Amino acid sequence: MRWIDRIRLAAGAIIRHPLRSFMLLLAMIIGVAAVVILTSLGEGARRFVAGEFESLGTHLLIVIPGRSDTTGGGLAMMTGETPRDLTIDDAVALTRSYAVDKIAPVNVGAAAVSWGGLEREVTVIGSTAELMDIRHWRLSAGRFLPPGDPRRATSVCVIGSKIRDELFANTLSVGKWLRIGDWRCRVIGVLATEGRAIGLDVQELVVVPVASAQALFNTTSLFRILVQARSNDVIERARADILETIGARHYGEEDVTVITQDAVIATFDGIFGTLTLALGGIAAISLIVAGVLIMNVMLVSVSQRTAEIGLLKAIGASRRQVTYLFLTEATLLSVLGAALGLGLGQAAVYVIGELYPAIPVRAPQWAVIAACVTALASGLVFGIMPARRAAHLDPVDALARK
Amino acid sequence: MRFSDIVKLTVGSVVAQRTRAYLTATGIAIGIAAVVLLTSIGEGVQRYVLEEFSQFGTNVIAINPGKKTTFGAPIGAFGTVRPLSFDDAEALRRIPYVTSSVAVMQGNASVEGNGRQRRAVVIGVGHEFIKTFRFQVALGEFLPDDDPRAARAYAVLGAKMRDELFANTNPLGARIRIGGDRYVVVGTMQAKGTMLGFDLDDTVYIPTARALELFNREGVQEIDILYAEGAPVDEVVAGIKRILIARHGGEDFTITTQQQMLDVLGDVLGVLKVAVGALGGISLLVGAVGIFTILTIAVKERTAEIGLLRALGVRRAQIRNLFLGEGLVLAAAGGAAGFAIGAGGAQLLRVAVPALPIHTPLSYVLLAEGIAVVIGLIAGVLPAHNASGLEPVEALRSE
Repeated sequence: MRWIDRIRLAAGAIIRHPLRSFMLLLAMIIGVAAVVILTSLGEGARRFVAGEFESLGTHLLIVIPGRSDTTGGGLAMMTGETPRDLTIDDAVALTRSYAVDKIAPVNVGAAAVSWGGLEREVTVIGSTAELMDIRHWRLSAGRFLPPGDPRRATSVCVIGSKIRDELFANTLSVGKWLRIGDWRCRVIGVLATEGRAIGLDVQELVVVPVASAQALFNTTSLFRILVQARSNDVIERARADILETIGARHYGEEDVTVITQDAVIATFDGIFGTLTLALGGIAAISLIVAGVLIMNVMLVSVSQRTAEIGLLKAIGASRRQVTYLFLTEATLLSVLGAALGLGLGQAAVYVIGELYPAIPVRAPQWAVIAACVTALASGLVFGIMPARRAAHLDPVDALARK
Repeated sequence: MRFSDIVKLTVGSVVAQRTRAYLTATGIAIGIAAVVLLTSIGEGVQRYVLEEFSQFGTNVIAINPGKKTTFGAPIGAFGTVRPLSFDDAEALRRIPYVTSSVAVMQGNASVEGNGRQRRAVVIGVGHEFIKTFRFQVALGEFLPDDDPRAARAYAVLGAKMRDELFANTNPLGARIRIGGDRYVVVGTMQAKGTMLGFDLDDTVYIPTARALELFNREGVQEIDILYAEGAPVDEVVAGIKRILIARHGGEDFTITTQQQMLDVLGDVLGVLKVAVGALGGISLLVGAVGIFTILTIAVKERTAEIGLLRALGVRRAQIRNLFLGEGLVLAAAGGAAGFAIGAGGAQLLRVAVPALPIHTPLSYVLLAEGIAVVIGLIAGVLPAHNASGLEPVEALRSE
């Protein structure tokens, strides 16, 4: 029996029972499509978060005051209060390292801003001119904080687009005097609408010079220092230099934590990778169920075609040939199911991508391959038992059956 | 045809095709097992997280400076133009039902004692802290009821801190240095373990006023209010608002009740649990396709039998019930087996990975069986309808 005959015979058996074959295909399609869609969602979430972190800046290191001997750090890491302040001078000292390209000291706090009888509670960020370069922000009007000595408090501020809309509506905002708490400053720029940073909506920010923010919140300590390394290769050196510089300035006490952007992204990559794998695995269970169904229907098919098998064996078909015949049928079904499921899954992913353009959904290659392989394998594995049963039928008994 | 006949016929036809019935039920069993196992994990995680949070008591209200929040943490804790002060914390005692008020200020500092040094979390609190958050003292006593503005330099060590600095020696009365200032150890806390990655034992407790001095801050990060059991929360919250607005001239603070937080958390985790269960449900869908296929084949194979039954006077509705019953028996058997596999797997997982919180409530038995039965019925509707629609004469002739 040539392989073309085998395929013709198997395809004939599939076509003769359209409803039954369709249901088998449907089971396979559901399984494969579920794997493709779920892993795409997981992968989309991973890419989205990684993108968010990358938009924080490039070759970025973050210096946080305080260090805990316990791993993790926890809540105290968030608030970052230490007996010895991390000062603006500490931040400026970091620029002496060759590996450090730019630095931006950051203070953050909550305050009410008001203009013309309208008041709003906002997040105020104190920083320097470099913050805009490090974070790749853009302006829609005016200009950003002027460069200069970060220790000097000047009465200027840059506001987010949403604050501009709510306080100034249609009037010109640049040049107006805004009140933040008990302090007044002139609006010199408006941030562009795009751009979100993790947890902080750029549209609802007010950016002031770092020294002004320290005066406003009555503190001498920084909340964070953002450091941009000169290139990717010197990040580790920048980290060592930062720890050495701060250590020397703090009388040998190592009381800061330096985290690199890459480490944070790697952590999240790991978490979302595991999540995607778990989602794919859960969906793949349905492929096993589909395999059980294939086995069931093939068994039915063997018992219905007993006479046909008897005839095949009577005219000289070997056991191996009969086994292959049924395996071919199972393989055809699972290949077709996997192909259709893949198509359906990719179509659904495309639709999701169109509906939510913000999330970069795309099926990871390994998931597509794994789904197809699992579908094929479950078809083959569950096809073996019925095929062997068919092959071991006695030709005389089988023929006599009808 | 009597009801018992229908049962006998249905069971008979299932048993007659043993392999087939076994495989069909297996499909459903795998699906149900996946759903039970996944929701068991979801339920376990939900209970675990809620217990972690409610171990600090459920009638606590937290007040933070600033109205804006990010990641659930108020920005005002980092810096604010109108800080919450000690006096605010003291003033809140006047509200009816309030039993204690603790001003909290925490940071990170180096702690030296017994010739060793360790960087850890230093928390400035009042003497009512252990009462508010249900902490237990292991040795000595907690911070005394001093004048909050001029508290004595006493410190209480967390369990891990005590082990790291003093190992097996008695720390009571020992002098330690925190960020350069000297303190006397008056007590140690019982181990609390970690919560969401935050080690609750690697801590030192000192009076709030001294923490403010240490970290050079004028306002506290949080005020925690404990109110009497069974008191109306809304009234307490309204009282806090009234007093703080009167003192600050405006609402520049965030109030979070523990109950509110637990509710939100419970809702979120509940949705997650259902979502995970629904993912497992994809397998159930495939299992339903299996029942449908097998019943369709059965109707075709037994056309002659159906014709005979109809010729003997069995009504259409009874034929329909016959096949519906077959689907139901298959699904119910699969559901029972699936629940056993899923719950068993959950128990095995619990033994194998003790860290993973897993819980299978008894209500899941009914739920799993209910889902299976409904699936069996739905999958059986079309084949059963086809069977009952057969013309007796035509059907008999098909033999």
